[in-house]
Amino acid sequence: MSQAKKKHRLVDAKEPNLVEDIFVHSLPPLIRFEGAVIENIDGQAVEFDFAGIKDRPIVITDTTFRDGQQARPPYTIDQMVHIYDLLSKLSGPNGVIRQTEFFLYTRNDRETLDRCRRLGHKYPECTGWIRAVKGDFRLVKEAGLAESGMLTSCSDYHIFQKLKFRTRKECMESYCEVVDAAFEAGVRPRCHLEDITRADIEGFVLPFVERLMEMSEQVPEERRAKIRLCDTMGFGISYPGAELPRSIPKLIYKLNREIGVPSSRLEWHGHNDFHKVHTNAGAAWLYGCDALNTTLFGFGERTGNPPLEGAVMEYIALKGDTCGMDTLVITELADYMRSIGLPIPDNYPFAGRAFNTTSAGIHAGGLRQDERIYNIFDTEKLLGKPARVAITDKSGADGVAHWVNEFFGLKGEDRINKIRVHKLARWVIDQYEVENRLTAISDQELEAKAKEFFPDHWEKCKAGK
Amino acid sequence: MATVEERVKAVTAQVLKLDAEKIKNEHSFTSDLGAESVQSIELVAMFEEEFGIEMDEDAALSVETVGAAVEFVANVCKEQGVEVQE
Repeated sequence: MSQAKKKHRLVDAKEPNLVEDIFVHSLPPLIRFEGAVIENIDGQAVEFDFAGIKDRPIVITDTTFRDGQQARPPYTIDQMVHIYDLLSKLSGPNGVIRQTEFFLYTRNDRETLDRCRRLGHKYPECTGWIRAVKGDFRLVKEAGLAESGMLTSCSDYHIFQKLKFRTRKECMESYCEVVDAAFEAGVRPRCHLEDITRADIEGFVLPFVERLMEMSEQVPEERRAKIRLCDTMGFGISYPGAELPRSIPKLIYKLNREIGVPSSRLEWHGHNDFHKVHTNAGAAWLYGCDALNTTLFGFGERTGNPPLEGAVMEYIALKGDTCGMDTLVITELADYMRSIGLPIPDNYPFAGRAFNTTSAGIHAGGLRQDERIYNIFDTEKLLGKPARVAITDKSGADGVAHWVNEFFGLKGEDRINKIRVHKLARWVIDQYEVENRLTAISDQELEAKAKEFFPDHWEKCKAGK
Repeated sequence: MATVEERVKAVTAQVLKLDAEKIKNEHSFTSDLGAESVQSIELVAMFEEEFGIEMDEDAALSVETVGAAVEFVANVCKEQGVEVQE
């Protein structure tokens, strides 16, 4: 590492290069690729064309009402109908959020599904979720659903230790009988390959999926089996060179290019046990799954699933376009979820109350000069949440001035400079130095002080509101 | 009427809670007189109030010493037609 191989000359400039072709600010920063990505699989260098994702029909699917509900007390019917309504609004006319799945076992499950469908939204399409039990397809058919997920767990942990099959063959035959029942019922089966990242890929997964593909040949295209790759315990790894069964690139390659499952019938479902959930989900899209299964705010079994709103931002970054999605609904959904008792941490990306709030004075100074310095994108336009400053002893006069200007909605020449906020800045400092305060100062306290120190602006602001 | 220098030193002493007699023109507001970030803002605000002037924020905050502040304030007073004793 000590010997430099290439000299790099300073490119002096009088004008800044803000790399605005990537950091467009009106959208999340774009994700662009150059050249093919190589993965060594079975001794062969295999190429993946990540840049091609711009033209692929990738979609987001949702399991907020299924996996998402396994991590919390049940939603009421009204709550689910409202969330479904908002999901549809977020999805937009192009159906980027393509499907959402429902339990079908109880009267409440079925009533929820009926009421969601009565809203008349095209997207997300409603699908079901059942155990791998033949009789359960009756429920799917009675509900009039075209597609249902079914459990087809594929690791030996599940096959032998949980489901108590005597052999893998017995397990595969049992699953195939249920798939046959789906075809007979006129329902498209979506086989959830649970625990795939701990499974014997060559010994069970590939022969099973190969059989599913053969069975699918007897039905029309729209009823052929879909494959959901379920990283049940979050063991999946996106790094090039990782070994099976944990390698996401290799798993998808084997199913997509060796077995021939088209990308349109491959879906990734992850879990966040190792903090890899969103990156793994993005990798699954790039390596060839068209569908990415998510939950709102990542709520799901244990550590949760790929967050839907993260997938929305990733989608826009990859496509360079919102494709009709109404991203402001993310904030509406977050507010609604909080109102029904779902905790969203304040620093949670895109939806936490303080995700774009700085309390460092030096960052507030940057924000004051050019919002782009410390705001990830135009969060006011895309999420209805302008960059904010939380006031503490570290905020400085810059932070106080930013807060005051945001509070009064002052822009450009009308903005109050930091000299004019010195009394409020002094009050803030004294809270910590004189009063020995240890907590951040609330908006309510600051509003009271703003009224005291800026009575004219306060009156104007009140009149405006 | 007190001079600009005397008034600048008096304001500085009041804001930084110092003895005006001990403040010298060559003193740096931050390293010699211990002005913290918010106190620098307060100094500018109090100079404006004392002299009835408006100063450019960035230019005023870039002044480092007491002597430079005396000169800066005197110039702004002249520009804005405020009579002072130099």
